[in-house]
Formats: sequence, C-alpha cells, structure tokens
Amino acid sequence: MVVDQDLVRHLSESSVSVELQTEEMTLNIGPQHPSTHGVLRLVARVDGERAFDVQPVIGYMHRGYEKLSEVRTYPQITTLINRIDWVAGYANEIPFVVAAEKLLGLEVPERAQYIRLILTEMARISSHLIFMASYPLELGAATPLFFALRERERVLDLLEGVTGGRFHPNFNRIGGVKPAYGSGSSTRKVIQDLPAGFLAATREAMDRVLEAVEELELLVADNEIILARTKGIGVLPADVAAAYGVSGPNLRASGVAFDLRKVEDYLPYHLFDFEIPTGENGDCWDRWHVRLLEIRQSVRIVQQAIDGIPSGPLQAKVPKIIKVPQGETYVRAENPKGEMGYYLVSNGNQGPYRLKIRSASFSNISILPWILEGVLVPDIIAILGSLDFVLGDVDR
Amino acid sequence: MTSSPSETANGETEAAEADADAAVEAATPEPHPLQEFADHVAATVGGEGAVVFDTVKVEVDSGDWVSALTTARDEMGLIFFSWLSATDWSSEVQVGDPYPEAVEDRIEVLATVGDISEGRRVTFSTTLGKDSPSISSLVGVYAGANWHEREAHEMFGIDFEGHPNLAHLYLPDAFVGNPLRKSFPLLTREVKPWPGTVDVEAMPGGGDEEESADGPSEENPEA
Amino acid sequence: MSAFLSDLFANFWVSLAGKLLLVALMIPLVGMVIGYAEMKLSAKMQARVGPYFAGGRWGWAQLIADGVKFFQKEDLIPEEADRPVFKIAPVLVLISTVALLVVIPFGPGIIFRDLSVGVFYALAISSLSTVGILMAGWSSGNKYSLMGGLRAAGQLIAYELPLVLAVIGSVMLAGTMSMSGIVEAQIEAGYPYLIIQFVGFGIFMVAALAELSRIPFDMPIAESELVMGYLTEYSGFRFLFFFLAEFANMFTLSAIAVTLFLGGYWLPGIPEDVLAYAGPVIVLAKTFLLVFAMIWFRWTFPRFREDQLQSLAWKWLIPLALANIIITGAFKVYL
Repeated sequence: MVVDQDLVRHLSESSVSVELQTEEMTLNIGPQHPSTHGVLRLVARVDGERAFDVQPVIGYMHRGYEKLSEVRTYPQITTLINRIDWVAGYANEIPFVVAAEKLLGLEVPERAQYIRLILTEMARISSHLIFMASYPLELGAATPLFFALRERERVLDLLEGVTGGRFHPNFNRIGGVKPAYGSGSSTRKVIQDLPAGFLAATREAMDRVLEAVEELELLVADNEIILARTKGIGVLPADVAAAYGVSGPNLRASGVAFDLRKVEDYLPYHLFDFEIPTGENGDCWDRWHVRLLEIRQSVRIVQQAIDGIPSGPLQAKVPKIIKVPQGETYVRAENPKGEMGYYLVSNGNQGPYRLKIRSASFSNISILPWILEGVLVPDIIAILGSLDFVLGDVDR
Repeated sequence: MTSSPSETANGETEAAEADADAAVEAATPEPHPLQEFADHVAATVGGEGAVVFDTVKVEVDSGDWVSALTTARDEMGLIFFSWLSATDWSSEVQVGDPYPEAVEDRIEVLATVGDISEGRRVTFSTTLGKDSPSISSLVGVYAGANWHEREAHEMFGIDFEGHPNLAHLYLPDAFVGNPLRKSFPLLTREVKPWPGTVDVEAMPGGGDEEESADGPSEENPEA
Repeated sequence: MSAFLSDLFANFWVSLAGKLLLVALMIPLVGMVIGYAEMKLSAKMQARVGPYFAGGRWGWAQLIADGVKFFQKEDLIPEEADRPVFKIAPVLVLISTVALLVVIPFGPGIIFRDLSVGVFYALAISSLSTVGILMAGWSSGNKYSLMGGLRAAGQLIAYELPLVLAVIGSVMLAGTMSMSGIVEAQIEAGYPYLIIQFVGFGIFMVAALAELSRIPFDMPIAESELVMGYLTEYSGFRFLFFFLAEFANMFTLSAIAVTLFLGGYWLPGIPEDVLAYAGPVIVLAKTFLLVFAMIWFRWTFPRFREDQLQSLAWKWLIPLALANIIITGAFKVYL
C-alpha cells in the first residue's frame, strides 16, 4: 500500500495548526458606562476576552470653550474654565489668569499668590483623592471609595469656605484673588479675606488627610489582588508618553522626575520644599502610587505655605474694565491631571482674540489606542482608570 | 533708552536701527533670559526666534514644518509634544474683537513642544494661506499630534497631509464648517450683542481709568 | 394535640404541603435577612449608616420596601432577547436554590429529605444556577450580558471541580454521602471535620464564593467592566429573583459547608436531647457566621481578572484538593 507522504504531513500539520476560529465582536464601551468617567466611548474589537483594537471616541461633552471665550470678557472666562476639569476646578483658573496678568504686566500681591498656591494644592489633593476613591472601585473594591471621599469632603469644605464653591470656585481675579468688595464706595466696605480660622482648620484637615492616606495605603497597597491586577499592567515607557504628550502623574509614574511646579514660575513654588515622586515601571500600580505620594507632597506644601503666608493686599490695582494689551503667550501649570496651559492671543480688547486650551486629559487619553492594544477586557478598565482623566478636561 | 549692555555694544554701528528699536525696547529693556535659547533653537531648525511674554516662539517656513520639528526633537531634546493648534488672523471678523490694525489674513499653525527635564519649551509657528490651508502632518514625528491635528482640521479646515485618519474628533461626522474660523458665525453672538460692555457697568464713585481706579487692596488694611 | 399533629404530618400530602410552604417562606426570608445584613455590614465597613428610615428604626423594612418596589417595576424584555429563555432563566436560578435546601439537616431528623446521595445531589443542583446564569447571559441579546454569561460558564467549569474535590475528604471520613449521616459521623468522632479537613474547607469556601460569583470572583457581573454582566437587561421581579437567589444561595452553600465541615447542628457539650430543639439555631448561627465572612470579603477585596481566576482554580485549588484527598485517604487507612 502506497502511503501518500504529503497527505500524511498535511494532515499532521493541519491538526496542529487549525485553531479554534472565534468570531470577533465589536464591543461599545460607553458613552454611558460605569467606568468611563463621563461620556467617553471606546469602540473595542474583542476576540473573547482580548481586545485587539480599541478606538476612543470623544466629543460627547464638547462645549466649545475656545470659541465661546472669544466672545467673553476676561473675568467671564474664569467661570467657563472652571468647568474644564471639574474635579479640580480651582486649578484650571490659575494658568489663565497668570497668562492675562503676564500680558498686562501685573504683579500679583504675595498674599494672593500664597492663597492661590494653597487652594491649588488643595484642589490637587481633592482630585487625587477622587482617583484614590474611584480606582479601586474599578478593580471591584468598593470600600476605599468611602474612605477617600470622606477626607475629600474635609478639603472641599475648606475650599467652599474660602471661595463659596465646591467644584466651581471662580475665585481668581486678574491681578489677585476675589477682592474686597465696594471699591470706591465708603458705604459698602466689606473686607474679604480668608475666613476666620481657615488656616488652623486647614492645618488640622491636612493632618487628617495624611492619616487617611496612610489608611488608604494599608487598605489598597497591601492587597494581593490589587497588586496582581495592577503590577505590570498597562506599562507606558517614558519616551512614548512624552511623544503623546502624556503629562503629570502619568508621566512621572514612568520614571520621569518632571514637574512643572519646579520649572515654571506661575506660582511661587520655589519657596517651598517638596519632592517629585516617581514610579519605576510606568504600570497601573505606579500611576496609583505616584498619586498617593503626591498627596503627601501637596500636604507638605500646604503646611509650609500656611506657616509662611504673608499679610498684605489680595488684589493688585487693575482697571474696572480690563483690556489686555496686544500680545500672545503660553502659560502652563502643573494641574492634578497634568500639564494644563492656555495659549492666549490678545488684540488689546476686553476679551481674548484666541484662546487655545491645552488640557491634560486630552493628551493623556490620546495614548489609549497605543496602550490598549491587545489587552484583556478587565485590563481595559484597569488601564483606563489608572490614567485618571475627566471628560470635561478631554472635550473642553 | 539703550540701557541694556548688548545694545550699547552695538549702539554705535547700528545707531539708525537703535532709534527704530527704541519703542520695542521700552517694553523689554533687557534681553530676555530665554532670548539666547530662542536664538539657538531658531538657528538650529532654521527659522526666526523671539521671546514674547516668556514664551519662546520660533517661526519657520511651512515647507520646513516637519523637518524643523524633527530637528527640535532629535537635536534639541524637545521630545514632549504639548499641543498643536492654530490662530485664524482676520481683520474683518464676525466673532471676537476685530484686530485694531489691519492684519494679514492668514492661518497661523502653532505647535508647542518641550523637554521633560529642564522645562524648556518652544512654540513653533508657521503661516498658511486662508484658502485651503495645507501642511504636512507631524504624526510621524510626534505620535501625540494625531488628535491635535484632527482637532485643528475640523476647527480650522487645515489639511494635514499624511495624517492616518483625518476624521472629525469632536464634531458629528456630518458637521459642515470650521467653527474656530473667525468667519464662522456664533449664534449666541447673533442673538445677543457683545456682552462685555454691558456686563461691566461703572460702579458709583469708581472711575474707569487705571490710575484713578481705587484698587480694592487699598481698602483692605488687614489682608 | 401532639399526637394529632404527628398523625397529621404522617400524611404524605400534608407533610409535603407543610414542607413546601416552609421552603417557600424560607427563601425570601433568608434572602431578606442576608440582604439586610449585607447592607448594614457594608455600611459599617464603609463608615456609612446604611438603611435608616424604612420601618421606623434601623431601616429594618428596607428589603421589604425594595421587594415591593421590584414588583411594581415594568417587566422589560429587550427586543433582541430570546424571550422564553430570558423569562425562564431567573426562575431556574431560584429553583436551584430552593432545591438545595432539601438536603440540609437542621437538627436530628429535621431535614426535608435525607437523601442517601445528599452531597452528590447538593453539588449537582448547585451548578444548576450557573446554567441559569448562562441562559440569562445568552438570551439577553446584549454583548455585556453575553460576556458575563460566558465568564460564568468558564467559572462554573473551573470551580465545580475544586468544589467537588474539596467535599470528598469529608465524605471519605464519614463513609457516607448522606448529609445527616456526615453530621452524625462528626458527632461520633467527637470533632468537626474542620480540624482535619481545614484544607478542604478553605477550598470549598473559595469555590463556593466563585460559584456565587461574589467578589473577588464576580467577573460575570463586574459592574465596572460589563455594566452588570448577565443582569444588565433584567428588571422588576425577574431581577428580584436573581437578587434573592444570590442571597439565598449564600445561605445554602454556607449551610452545606456547616454540615460537611463544622459539625452541622452539633456543638460539643450539648446533650443530645437539647440538640433536637437547639439544632436549627446552631445551624443558623454557624451558617450566618460563614455568610458574614462572605460579606466581609466582598467589601474588602477587589475582583480577580478572568485569567487569574482560572489559574487559581486549575493551578492551585485542584492540585491542592487532590493532595487533600490522598492525605485523607492515607489518614483513613492507617489511623
């Protein structure tokens, strides 16, 4: 009997090489989904549990602030830009008013600068605490949420006490912070400064935040399952992060000790002693841990600022109707989510001629198609959450 | 007015120019600390460098756009892609304040890149014509330019040649128009006139001039 | 009077009706008690108050109010759904829970039906709920539900084995598969099998958590990934069925663990004639202790990833359970 050797080989090979053919499925994650922090939509092509192509679709919350600010006056714009990154609304205002002050050539009084700095750091703490709260939830642990949110409430209460707003403080004015009311009129003299007891209350709250961070670290960082879910997941090399414009804690988690608070002069950070925490591997775990360490550094800054806050006016002299001289400048700041900047073009009028808003989350999630290639569906959520974005900050 | 040391050195040979520069110098009496860096970048990538309000701005030819940024990335270490956008320059505008003096109608493309060690950043700019503006895509140089170029494409109508997927980013697919162009009408503006002047009415007793305005700080003895 | 009662219950139909009524009442009751416990305990762990107003004090009527609310809701069935399967799935899940109660001994002679293959029956029936879950996931016509259903199926296959293997140790020691027989064997031995079968007990509890798809094994639901998994499209009383089944299942699986490993209705030092009355209380106390642990885990741990769950089952639990059987066998033969 003649055996067809080719046929034998073919059969033996085919029995090995024929894999189970599975149907690919397009999974729409969002725009309404518990883990997309708003209205992000991910179009994921998945094969079983593995996603091989994930395309983010954004724009569900585009409010056209760049266009809108062309028909608004400078003081009105701070109201708009509060709503960009709403979990750290206060921090959004800073680079914008600094840009306007730069064009105006204004010197902001020292006390106002300190207040700005303290509130910015408190906004950072509250933003990071939200992340501390929501990230374990995305991994399935519900309890850290309440511990983190409880501490955030203390910080927000203080922010509210000073600014009147929890999420949208709208506290900065060009030339300082919200001024004493009644300028020029002797009958309506209301002195507005920090509320009585604010500094002491803040000091106390900062101590509590430190304790809470300790507690969170015990709760989350010692958990084997959290480590198994985050270590080595979503590794982001520093050079890729830089090319995509990923900034802030996400960049620092990749081992880059770069913090705009150290290199830019929008607020007097050079007066304070703080470190830049960095990660080692750039994975989800590092992104979580860097933010935890940053809370501690922010607390340090606030404590130093409270000790050293000078007295003095809250507002520089500015005209009633602010006309910003002709010019253009780009001012960027280290916001909780990363680099936030405003490219301000003025033509000498009451409103900007063009305002380009560079928001951190926009660039931070532009990495998604790269970083989500070939990951498992549960890891999509783990990586997505670790980037800590806010849709308002993405869509503007 | 020639107070800066560098100007006095050139003062004698370029006396004629010194007068012309006097007005500019009044605003910036000393060369900015970043001026040297700006000149260095401009020389390396082949463009014109300037420091405007602490922002290093380098203008390059639109044909050299990609090569200039490639040089900046490879030789200057500016590996961090911050943002890319554009400004629509127009003297006759429907939205926003008209420019006081006539400006040349053009689209200025801007891209800011920086390093991730010392905090240096450069805003590159180039000029495109208003009718069907087109420029090479930066996606090959900075991967992060992808979304920024899509945004600039839909907002300004700039065509980025070589972009892998120049689809709308924010706007619906069927949207027509380029919203950030000055010629794009803003409905709120049509319905309600410029709100700025209405909003800031003079307070009793307060003047509008800068000098006469009482700074609120003066009435804040404790603060 | 008592003679009349025993005569009455000797009648097959009367006793059947009584047992049915008891089971029918027990499921919602147990479900509500555990549901309320979960709400209050999770609130305690998370520095919250939890249910507070319903019923006037401590929110004790919260679960009743929730149940009434669920019945008021519209019974939505998606256009794409496979209607008969979609409708029957929650019933199947609940039935498996009811059927499990049959073989649990609550005291000497207090058992709905003392099957000679009680353990076998219990394990077989407990897998039925996963079939119901798979049906729910498949029939919903929703991709999230489908993925949830498939995950549930994968989980069933992976954790059914350690669940069965973990039980074998106790069965070998007792030499019977009858549930009440195993309890009696433990009374005879004078110690609960937990003392020798602690490995088996651990594996059983882990596998039971996986069978229940509770955190850390709640991938079939995984609300941050799959919205609500196989539950996504369910509403109204069908959702309530799943809801009740989850809590009742916690109870029944814990009760099986109590029977097999913790000595069932027996406590050392309590005379036998007292046990006849105290038995149910002891079983309930032990069971709720285990239920409490399950609730505790749920609000402490995050969830595993699907592949991590699989490797835990295949690489750790099954080899460990097999080793446990071999050691138990050696123990049985040589001691």
